[in-house]
Amino acid sequence: MKKRILALMMAGVMVLGLTACGGAATGTADSGAAADSGAAADSGAAADSGAAADSGAADSGSSGGAVRLLNGKPEIDNQLQDLAKKYKEETGKDVSVETIGGDTSAGDELKKMYQADNMPDIFVIEANQADTWDGMLADLSGEAWTNDTDYELVHDTMGTIGFPYTVEATALAYNADVLEKAGVDPASLTSPSAWKTAVETLDSKKADLGLTAVFGWCAEPANLGWSSGTHVFGQYLDAGLKLDDKTYIDLLNDGGKIDEGRMKKFAEFIGMMNQYSDPELLVDGTYDNQVKGFAEGKYAFVTQGNWINGTVTSNENYSGFKMGFAPYGFDDGFDTIIAGPPSYWTVYSNGKVDDAKAFLQWVSEDSAQNILVNDAGLISPFSDCTYAAADPFYDSIKSYMDAGKTSGWHTMLKKDGLQNVTCQVFADYAQGKMDADGFVSTMAQVCSSYYAE
Amino acid sequence: MVDNAVGKRLLSLLCIFGGVALVVAALILDVSRSNAPYRGAFLVIGIVGILVGLFIFPTLKYHRALMNFVFLFPLLFAFLVTVIIPLILGIRYSFTNWDGIRFTKEVGLENYTKMFQQPSFIWSILLTFLFVVVNMIMVNLVAFLLALLCTSKLKGLGFFRASYFLPNLIGGIVLGYIWQFIFANVVTNITTALFDNRYSMLSETGTAFIAIIVVYIWQYAGYIMLIYITGLNTVPGEILEASSIDGANPMQTLFQIKIPMIAPTITICTFLTLTSAFKQFDVNLALTNGTGSVADFMGSYLTNGTEMLALNIYNTAVIKDNYALGEAKAVLFFIILACVSILQVYISNKKEVEL
Repeated sequence: MKKRILALMMAGVMVLGLTACGGAATGTADSGAAADSGAAADSGAAADSGAAADSGAADSGSSGGAVRLLNGKPEIDNQLQDLAKKYKEETGKDVSVETIGGDTSAGDELKKMYQADNMPDIFVIEANQADTWDGMLADLSGEAWTNDTDYELVHDTMGTIGFPYTVEATALAYNADVLEKAGVDPASLTSPSAWKTAVETLDSKKADLGLTAVFGWCAEPANLGWSSGTHVFGQYLDAGLKLDDKTYIDLLNDGGKIDEGRMKKFAEFIGMMNQYSDPELLVDGTYDNQVKGFAEGKYAFVTQGNWINGTVTSNENYSGFKMGFAPYGFDDGFDTIIAGPPSYWTVYSNGKVDDAKAFLQWVSEDSAQNILVNDAGLISPFSDCTYAAADPFYDSIKSYMDAGKTSGWHTMLKKDGLQNVTCQVFADYAQGKMDADGFVSTMAQVCSSYYAE
Repeated sequence: MVDNAVGKRLLSLLCIFGGVALVVAALILDVSRSNAPYRGAFLVIGIVGILVGLFIFPTLKYHRALMNFVFLFPLLFAFLVTVIIPLILGIRYSFTNWDGIRFTKEVGLENYTKMFQQPSFIWSILLTFLFVVVNMIMVNLVAFLLALLCTSKLKGLGFFRASYFLPNLIGGIVLGYIWQFIFANVVTNITTALFDNRYSMLSETGTAFIAIIVVYIWQYAGYIMLIYITGLNTVPGEILEASSIDGANPMQTLFQIKIPMIAPTITICTFLTLTSAFKQFDVNLALTNGTGSVADFMGSYLTNGTEMLALNIYNTAVIKDNYALGEAKAVLFFIILACVSILQVYISNKKEVEL
């Protein structure tokens, strides 16, 4: 009899174990079913996942009514937590911030969250991901903050969907002290000939200026493909154009076509960068070495954006030099830098839309901008923001913004993953496997075959 | 006594039918997309009810079968949920235009025909096969030599064994980044001196492929070595003693006694390296991320010179955001691996009979 009881108890323990995994398992099976019928019955799915998102929020330990925000920038996680605290303090409402970043892209994670009926109310997307979420993002047009910014994301069918939380800029970042010593005026660098003279001057004075090379340009594809394939390639798409000029991105998205004349000029400019770049860095360098070299004054220019500011200023050998951005002047009169929000916050239309809207409105206002600009070091996209960012690039960016000389981040609208093929062309060009014509024809071929896939 | 049995039977039937009813109700709630919060509890309680009912069911004839079922259930259930259901869903999604969120239409075999029209995918398949063949030979060779070394009478054997095995304990991603550093900063000094080539091995498709093979052997040979050591240690001492009395030299002992005696070990190791090389992902991802250019393959310029099958599937689905095509590729991957595994089981069984 005793054995019996023991056996029963063992079975009981086993069953308990089973319920634990069974509970999780039902979730999985359920999400499969949700995806199955998701297309057929959108409205049904909507009602269902809305409710599930509620319970999901309760599950994850945050209080029931909290608006959940999924952040994709790990470097500002602490400041966003402060932001949530401040919001609670001022309005009494809860916001919980979850951060995804590093090697996990928020886009993948969101797909998992969607399958698990665990969607956050506000989440980060890049512009070309909007179509993926077609019909699931709330229209934010008519919100008061939309009058204070030029940078909101507008979608053809869903309306105003993206809240810009920061502006980032990319072009050729320069070391102002070095340029001044060499007698080069960065404002004059708006044509290939001006660039050529400036670069040759700098190159001839390398020893005096303490430079290793004129450019800190790295075309390594495995880890820095996002830099060459997205940001530098973006200069082909947008350099010299007005903020809303979509000529070349539209051409690209029409089956991967490129403008060969423009690409040729771009290729020649990149060729100059290859020639005057640090050979130690060019083919197999790393982001760390690139930014470190710039911070230590070894390069006059570096092909990154204002996101390097923290790394530069915290480098122990940083001499305190001023910095700014020079345009990729690969054609005459190209005097713009790319500036805009690299990603946006969007509101999930089946989540707590009204609470989320209220929160976003609050974020665009003074006390929140104080945290975002002064603590997180972001550049505000809102024209009524009175805080000057601590960013050492801020003065330069602001001067371009005020003069209306910013081009769009249309590189974010190219087909997902294109950077992984284009970065390889940059790498081959840097290694000298092809000339400028070869670069143009190869670029044309990889783009069209990538769009054909 | 009779009453007791009848009572028990009634109770167990009640549990079983109640459980079935609850499970069915939970499934109906799920399929009908109800948002009742208790549907998960229904399912779990239902399953528990069925299991309890089966456990106390008063029968002698079927008792054993029922107990087998009750005790196997947790394992089967976990297997069903984590392997079988995803497999079926995956095959289903490969016939649609699924994007990771939803699908809007069935596309039939389009994904399957599309993947064979991609030169980059064909390249990945060929590269993977080449990688598998090279590795199967090299890993086994290196591991066997290390095993011979580690079963000899050297001093400090424990140290050598541990250090050869150590790379296997480091995760593939970490390993990839460590070696990336080595290739970019240390190996370049050697290549500059020897070939006047200051670029990292990883920047050229051919040498990058060799680099992946080197790292993989370094990672995996220690593990296979352990299996060979075990095999070599099971060779009976009296046979070795007899052969030495008969005057066999060390080479004869190795080729005519030891290797034939460890034939089953060789089979196991061959298949272990075969399947794991096929599934190569993490080192590939961390070391080159599939980059490398191929100037002309099937008429196009490829940018995925070192991208193997598993990484190609991941990139197709997650990076290029084409989940359905990735699923179709994964199905092909599954078929290839299933064939290899079936072959392995078949050959291993045959060998065992011979022994």
